[in-house]
Amino acid sequence: MIELKIDNQTVEANEGETVLQAALRSGIEIPHFCYHPCLSVAGNCRICLVKVDGRPKLVPSCNLPVAPGMTVETDTEDVRAARRAVMQFITLNHPGDCGICDKAGECRLQDYHVRYGEEESHSREPKHHRPKFSDLSPRIVLDNERCLLCSRCVRFTREVSGSHQLGIVERGSHARVERLEGRPFDDPYSDNVIGLCPTGALLSRDFLYKSRVWYLEPVRSVCTGCARCCSVNVWRRQREWHVRALGAELNRAAYRVTPFENPAINGPWLCNKGFDLHRRMARKRALTPLIGGREATAEEAVQEAKRLFAAAGNPAVLAFAPASNEELAAFRDGLGRRVQVYTREDYHTEPGEVAEDDFLIRGDKNPASYSIRALFGNRPYAPAARHDLVVIWGERVDYHALGGAKLIHLASFEPAGETAADLLIPVSTTFERSGTFTNFEGKVNRFEKVFDKPAQVLHAGDLFGRLVP
Amino acid sequence: MSEARVFFNFAVTADSHRLPAYRDRRGYGALEKALREMAPAAVEAEVKASGLRGRGGAGFPTGMKWSFVDRKSPVVYLCCNADEGEPGTFKDRWIFENASHQLIEGVLLASYALGVRHAFIYLRGEFDLPYRRLCEALAEARGAGLVGERILGSSFSCDIIAHRGAGAYVCGEESSLLTSLEGFKGYPRNKPPFPAVKGLYQAPTVINNVETLATIPWIIARGGTAYASIGAEKNSGTRLFGISGHVNKPGLYERPTGYPLKRIIFDDAGGVRGGKGLKAVIPGGSSTPVLTAAEIDGITLDAESVQAAGSMLGSGGIIVVAEGTCMVRLLRVLTRFYAHESCGQCTPCREGSAWMDEIVGRICAGKGEEGDLERLEGITRGIMGNTVCALGDAASMPVASFIQKFRDEFAYFIKYGRSMHAGRLEV
Repeated sequence: MIELKIDNQTVEANEGETVLQAALRSGIEIPHFCYHPCLSVAGNCRICLVKVDGRPKLVPSCNLPVAPGMTVETDTEDVRAARRAVMQFITLNHPGDCGICDKAGECRLQDYHVRYGEEESHSREPKHHRPKFSDLSPRIVLDNERCLLCSRCVRFTREVSGSHQLGIVERGSHARVERLEGRPFDDPYSDNVIGLCPTGALLSRDFLYKSRVWYLEPVRSVCTGCARCCSVNVWRRQREWHVRALGAELNRAAYRVTPFENPAINGPWLCNKGFDLHRRMARKRALTPLIGGREATAEEAVQEAKRLFAAAGNPAVLAFAPASNEELAAFRDGLGRRVQVYTREDYHTEPGEVAEDDFLIRGDKNPASYSIRALFGNRPYAPAARHDLVVIWGERVDYHALGGAKLIHLASFEPAGETAADLLIPVSTTFERSGTFTNFEGKVNRFEKVFDKPAQVLHAGDLFGRLVP
Repeated sequence: MSEARVFFNFAVTADSHRLPAYRDRRGYGALEKALREMAPAAVEAEVKASGLRGRGGAGFPTGMKWSFVDRKSPVVYLCCNADEGEPGTFKDRWIFENASHQLIEGVLLASYALGVRHAFIYLRGEFDLPYRRLCEALAEARGAGLVGERILGSSFSCDIIAHRGAGAYVCGEESSLLTSLEGFKGYPRNKPPFPAVKGLYQAPTVINNVETLATIPWIIARGGTAYASIGAEKNSGTRLFGISGHVNKPGLYERPTGYPLKRIIFDDAGGVRGGKGLKAVIPGGSSTPVLTAAEIDGITLDAESVQAAGSMLGSGGIIVVAEGTCMVRLLRVLTRFYAHESCGQCTPCREGSAWMDEIVGRICAGKGEEGDLERLEGITRGIMGNTVCALGDAASMPVASFIQKFRDEFAYFIKYGRSMHAGRLEV
C-alpha cells in the first residue's frame, strides 16, 4: 500500500496503480476521455492533467504511477486552465450537433463541456467538415466530425477483440478513424466500440434515432445467446415517459441492449449477438393458447393440459428452454418427478455466426445447459419408449420425430411451420420474469423482469405445480 | 581561440568519404584503441569526462544519458537519431555525405561502451544521398571487418542497421522514432517509461544524435579532457552551426561552443545580404524563440548564454532574418510547417497547431480581426507543456515569441489588412 495525497485527501493506492485509478477509486473525479480501465494507457486526450508537487509541468494522471508521499492537486487554477484549453481544442471542430446526436444525454464530451469547458469557443474560424454517417459496417455508423481521436475503439480492436480492424489514418488535424480498407468492420465484438466512444462518433444503426436516451432506463438482464450468460442492460422506456396514445407498443419495446459490467463473467464487454438480444426477443411471440388449433384462454389451456395428463399412461417432458434455475427447480419438484425427462439442445450455431472463440462466445448456444444437465443429466429423447404424451418445453422441435404421441408445447415464440401440437401454451420470456441462470462455468447470474407478461401468457414455473393432481 | 576541428579536418574531395581516405585520416584508430586497450566502462568514462552534450537539440549530457541504462538487461539497443527535420538544420546531412565512417566508428564505440549488439541508424526519409553514402560506408566497413561479428578480431560484435523513415518530422522525437522503427505509426510515447528503461522493443535504449555519436571517435582518440578543454564552460567541444537565411555565405560552420553569435553571422557568414540591417535571428532551428537584433548582442553559442537571452541553442540551425522581412508571413511559413507535421495523437498539438496556422493564415490574407493576437497567445498557453512530446512546444514557441517581439507588425497587418513590409524583399 502506498499513501499519497490528492486534493488534501490521503489516498491509499496499490503499487503500480496510476494516480487517476487511485483518485477514481477514492471518489475524486478527474476527467478522462481516452483512459479506460480495460485498455492500455494512450495519454492522448490530455484532459486528465493534474498538478504534482515538485514538477514544473502538469502531468497526465492516467500515466502517472503513484509514489509514496506524492502530493497531487486536481483543481488548481492552472489545472482548470489546462482543462479549459483542452476543451477548447476538442470542441474546435466538433459540430456541436447534439440535437440530432443519439449520444446526447450519455455523452462524456457533453458532460465535460458543461463541467470543465467553462467558456464559449474562442474560435472565429469555420468548422472543418469531415465524413458524417459513413457506414463502418451494417451495424455501426461513424461520424468523423464528432470524433475526438481518443483511440479507444482502435485500442479495443487491437487489445480486446484482436481483429485490428480499426486504425487512425493521416496525421495532424487530418487524422481520422478508419476501418480496414476494403472490408466492413465485421468484428464479432464490434458493437462494444459504440459504448466505448466518449462522444457520438460511433453509433448503433439499430438504435439510430429510435429514442432519446433520457426517456429510457436500463434493467439488468442476462443474454440467452450462449452458455456464457453475459450480464446485459436491457433498455426500456421509463414509466413517466410512457407513450399514452399512439404507439403504445413502444412502452413494451426493448430499445437496445448494452453490456452490464460483470467482472466475474463478461467484464464490460458483450458480443454482437448479445447486442442483438432485443431483436431476437422481438421474434413473433406465441401469445394465445391453442387447443387443437383453436384459440383459448390460459385457464382453459391449463384445464386441457390437466386432462391430457390424467389420460396419459406414459408421459414425457422434453426440456430445454432458456429456463431459469427457479423454473427448473419448480419443474423438478412438481411435474418432473412423475414423468420421464429428456434433454435436448434447442439452439445451435447459425450460419454466419461465430461458433466459439477464446474470448466470450461459447459453442453451446443454450443458456440453461449447465443447470439442466446438473438436474436431469444428458438424456436424448428415445422414441422406443413409446410415450403417449410429450410435453415440449422449448423451441425448434420437429413434431414428427416424436412419434404419434399427444403433444403439449410450452413455447415463448410462435412455433415455425404447422402448429400441430394438441395444446400450445404460451410461456414467458426472460424479459418477462426475473430469475437466475448458471453459466457453463457454474457462475450464477441474475436477471430482472423488464416487462410484465401478456395476459394469456403463463410463467412456466407456475404451470408445473398446477399440472400435478 | 582553439582551432580544434572534429569534423572539418580534411578537404572534401570525390573520395574523401570513402574508407581508404578515412583510414588515411587515422579513422577507426579510436575503435582499435578502445577494443585493444580500453574496457567498455573506460570508454564511457572518457565520454563523461569530455562533458559532451547531445547535439540534437535538448543538450542533455551524453555520458549521463548512457548511465541511465540498466547494464544487467540482456539486450540494450542504440539508436542514432538521424531524422534531421528541423527547418534550418542541415548538419547531420553533411556528416552522412562526407564522414559516414566517422559516424559508424562513433556508433561502434558507443555500442562497445553500452554492450549493444544491434545499433540502428534512423535516417529521415528525404535523405537520399546521405542514405546511399551511409550504405556504401557500411558495406565498406563490413567488408573490412569493422562492422559485424568479432570486430577487428576482438570479442566485440555489433551490427548496424540503417533505416529510412517515411517523411515525418515528429519521428525526430526520440520515442516516436522508436515507435516508427518498430513498424508502427510514428506516435510519440508517454513518459514514463523513458527509453533508457523501456525503449525499442521494450528493451533499454539509448538514442543519440548523429553529431553526438560522430564526435566520440575524436574523444576516444584524444581523451575526454582534451575535448572538455575546447569551448565554453559546461558546453565542451565544437559544434556544427548551420547558417541560413539572409546572409551572404550561408552554410555549415564548425565552431567551438562559446563562439560569439554576431561573429559567426557577420564575419564567418559574411553578414546580411544586400547590406541590409539585421532584423532577427532564430538561433537553434525553427522551433526556438526568435531573438531581435538588439537581443543578440553579446550572445555566445553555448546553451546557457542563448537561454539567458530567452531562447535555445537547439540543433544549432541559425536562421538570419534581414530588415524588411515581414514577420507575419515568416511566421505563417512556420505555423504551416508545424500544422503539417503534428502527428495528431494528442489533442492540444493536433488541434492547436492547425488552429494557429488558420489564424495566422487569415491574418496574412488580410482578414485579421481584433483579438486574434490574444487568441493566438491563448492557444500557445494551452499547448505548451500539455502535450505528449515537445512538438507542441516547438509549434507554440515561434508563435509566442514572434507576437511578443513583433507585436506592432502583427497589429498593423490586422488593422490595415496588409503587411508593414509590402512587396518582395529585395536582397
